[in-house]
Amino acid sequence: MNATVIAFLVLYYVVVLGIGFWAMRQGASEDLEGFLLGGRDVGPLVTALTLQSTSMSGYMFLGAGSLAYTTGYWSLWFAAGDIGGGVLNLSVIGRRMRKLSQVMGSLTAIEYLEGRYPSSATRLIAASLSVFLLAFYVLAQFIAGGKGMALVTGLDYSWALLIALSIIIIYTFLGGYLAVAYTDFFQSLVMIVGVVWILAAALAHVGGFTAANHALAAIDPTILSIWGRGLGFEGQWGVVAGAVLVFSAGYMGWPHVVTRHMAMRRPATARLAGAYATGWNLLFVSSPYLVGILAILILPSLDDPELALIEVARTLLPPAATGIVMAAIMAAIMSTADSLLLQTGSIASRDLYERFINPKASERQMVLVSRLLILAIGVIGYFVALVEPPAVAFVVIFATSVLGSAFAPAFVCAVWWKKANTPGAIASMVAGAVTSVAWELAGLATATTLAPVTAGLAASTLAIVVVSLATQNMSPVPKHILGAMEETARVGPIPEEMPAMFDFTLRPEAEEIESMIREGKK
Amino acid sequence: MFGLPLSTFLLVFGFPLFWILYTIGFLLLSRSWERDGEER
Repeated sequence: MNATVIAFLVLYYVVVLGIGFWAMRQGASEDLEGFLLGGRDVGPLVTALTLQSTSMSGYMFLGAGSLAYTTGYWSLWFAAGDIGGGVLNLSVIGRRMRKLSQVMGSLTAIEYLEGRYPSSATRLIAASLSVFLLAFYVLAQFIAGGKGMALVTGLDYSWALLIALSIIIIYTFLGGYLAVAYTDFFQSLVMIVGVVWILAAALAHVGGFTAANHALAAIDPTILSIWGRGLGFEGQWGVVAGAVLVFSAGYMGWPHVVTRHMAMRRPATARLAGAYATGWNLLFVSSPYLVGILAILILPSLDDPELALIEVARTLLPPAATGIVMAAIMAAIMSTADSLLLQTGSIASRDLYERFINPKASERQMVLVSRLLILAIGVIGYFVALVEPPAVAFVVIFATSVLGSAFAPAFVCAVWWKKANTPGAIASMVAGAVTSVAWELAGLATATTLAPVTAGLAASTLAIVVVSLATQNMSPVPKHILGAMEETARVGPIPEEMPAMFDFTLRPEAEEIESMIREGKK
Repeated sequence: MFGLPLSTFLLVFGFPLFWILYTIGFLLLSRSWERDGEER
């Protein structure tokens, strides 16, 4: 255990917890909109960096390095899509989703889907899928946190996991979204410093980029190929498309990420946030993959490729710098885990508990339910991560593939296609989730050379188009939603009377009155 | 270039260039969004 490394880690945790306390003192968790969306008052820089640091998880430091170490330059296909994921998301759905969510009064991504595709089935399916997948995704962050901390501090994995997990849960409890957004902002800066530092040290150690590539070619020229080491993916464009899509187009279907659009200060915040996101990604995204490739030269016989980046840092950097790199790794893990936990808690409290169990729940009760679920996930996650920890890269790519497949077409069509209706959206979510899961479990990716996310996105897109068109007469999009979509498309302030049309507290009564009128007409 | 095959060079440097151009195009085409103004 190195005292300097520990000192830097402790300093990092103190700063993060300090920001969490500060956010709490700002009154972020006084009401539900404050707790879940930071009062819809988040500016472009914080929006961009919370968006990016949330999506760049422990996968970037463990999974990406491992993928690069084992497959070589092929792994850069994931970075190719990932670099543009933020700006694509913000440019395609950012402004419109911010506006439509305000018109509909939605506080969670799932509530937003139900508002646009009105049916309790929409919310039940979307909420159940999200809670399961986000909890699965957060498991990867716990494992990454435990592994990283155990290696650097020398603590036993079970203790390292417990410490990492406890810190994540404590500061997620503190101030809700605002605490998460501002700690994400700080953590994104730590991540940049950490990853650029390792890359610079690795490049200096191997004599520069060109010299490294010549050395890699001398070991095995296929490391340099776009088809993977040993040309294992040669001609498999479906798998390549999956690698590019999962962190770009698929990214528009991640509920914990698109919630960032709903919390923006203004719809136009998406513009500058998009530019900041690209700038941050250009510095950050490719670096872990490149370090993973360089690790082939620096540490040619690693037992666990997932630790490639951490081992490179430990080998090449002085203890103080290793401490900063380790803080960056924990930042990547924690900035994703807190958002996943907050989102899972929000969906469980607002979309399941209030909607289906206790419609009269007070805001205080819902915040309590949200926090209890976060605690439960932490406890269950701890034991799963302790007993049978799966590979971080597998969990992250699987969970994000299913999330993207299930939700991306529904979120995109929600603001862009007026004919997208409730049966179409439900069919799309089910088709995307079932196809991508079945593809993975049945091992169809190898047989068909199509990645699960490619097949899942194709199925969900086809389903929303075909089913929406086939059911237009039976289930037309309600007029007030068409009006809201037109308003969303228009650039200009939202008319004051518009949000009242979507009052969720009045919906059951309104539906009852409507059905009485219908029955009266008969 | 940099000891890489052309296809790999394009993968490593071409995609970032594409996304830079996409971002510039987005900023130019979305200038009117500022009219959305403060809504609260």
